[in-house]
Amino acid sequence: MATEQLTAWVIDHKFDRETCRHSMNGFDAVLHCHHYASLYCQLADDAEQFNGRDLLKRSSELSFLNVLSNYFAEHEISDLTDRIALAEEYWQMCGFGTLKFDHVGELSAAAHMNHSHVDEGWIKKWGNRDKPVNFIGQGYVAAALAAIYGLPAGSYDVYETQSIVSGADASCFSLVRK
Amino acid sequence: MAVDRNTIIDAMSQVKATSNNEGLIPAFNVLVTQAPTTLWNNFADLITNSVDPDLKPAAEALLVNAAHECGYHTGYGIITSEEWDAVCGPMIEGVEDVLHGAYAVFTAWGWAKSEIVELIPGEKMVVRAYDYYEADVVQRGNLDSPCAYMIQGVSAAFMDLAYGGQYDPTGKTGLRTFKCEQVKGIECGDDYGEFVVTRA
Repeated sequence: MATEQLTAWVIDHKFDRETCRHSMNGFDAVLHCHHYASLYCQLADDAEQFNGRDLLKRSSELSFLNVLSNYFAEHEISDLTDRIALAEEYWQMCGFGTLKFDHVGELSAAAHMNHSHVDEGWIKKWGNRDKPVNFIGQGYVAAALAAIYGLPAGSYDVYETQSIVSGADASCFSLVRK
Repeated sequence: MAVDRNTIIDAMSQVKATSNNEGLIPAFNVLVTQAPTTLWNNFADLITNSVDPDLKPAAEALLVNAAHECGYHTGYGIITSEEWDAVCGPMIEGVEDVLHGAYAVFTAWGWAKSEIVELIPGEKMVVRAYDYYEADVVQRGNLDSPCAYMIQGVSAAFMDLAYGGQYDPTGKTGLRTFKCEQVKGIECGDDYGEFVVTRA
């Protein structure tokens, strides 16, 4: 019988008593609530004239791509399956919900979230809406796929094709290489 | 008994945020995330530097508001939590102690190494922050105007909770009874950030 080695994210959480900062795997980390995330997403959504949604997606992608790429390099993770599993696990570890890649290729991928901090937080705060709000999640899946293939930020277009905030059972994301 | 900041920081900095099977972290009556600080800094930096200069104050006000609501609801969740009762509860004799304790927790959880340096009950509070992640947007040189929007919003919220009347989960009353002005910032070249909270 074959055995399966499950890859698990090794959490390196430190608190620096001098600066009073927390770091997770070498990157400063901070707790924030769903009110904060919802209001950031609302600001991004309202700032249509300045591509606010894209700014938040890009902010997320740049932030998480650093973390994931650094982790893969530091822990010498090169196997595709391991990288996918770790990217899914890290998102969950941060409290942003669940993430599962349905398929992954260098040119395209699809992923879904059965639970989403941003969507469920938005619903708790304001209720449903008919357009996606998870710009942070869109940035994360782009970051994850770029990190998996060792590509720079901005390598993928992301389309959120259905959303928990709009009443769907899951949020679904489609990614295409630019 | 006076509030012992070091005891609170030592204890509360050890509280772990662990996600459940749904990948969510329900805590203090809200859902929380533990994300890299760059996520929040990147957006604040990009949005305030993307808008037309005449719209920048409006964008900044919305970033402050995000923290104001966050600080109000999460702050209430914290000061009514079991963790608070266990660590801070024995030190609390009045509203002012709650505020001092809240800044010790604020420090312990990595939002800002901060403390109250002046407090006129019900009227005014001055907070100093000696290290905070929002200053990290500047790596060389100084900004013309400060950008610690999160500390501004949360500081106003803490005064709302202390002196703004009964907590209102809808945020319709009690919230925004105070406002905060940041008068110094590490990001502007000052040794510390200074935040002055007064009645709105």
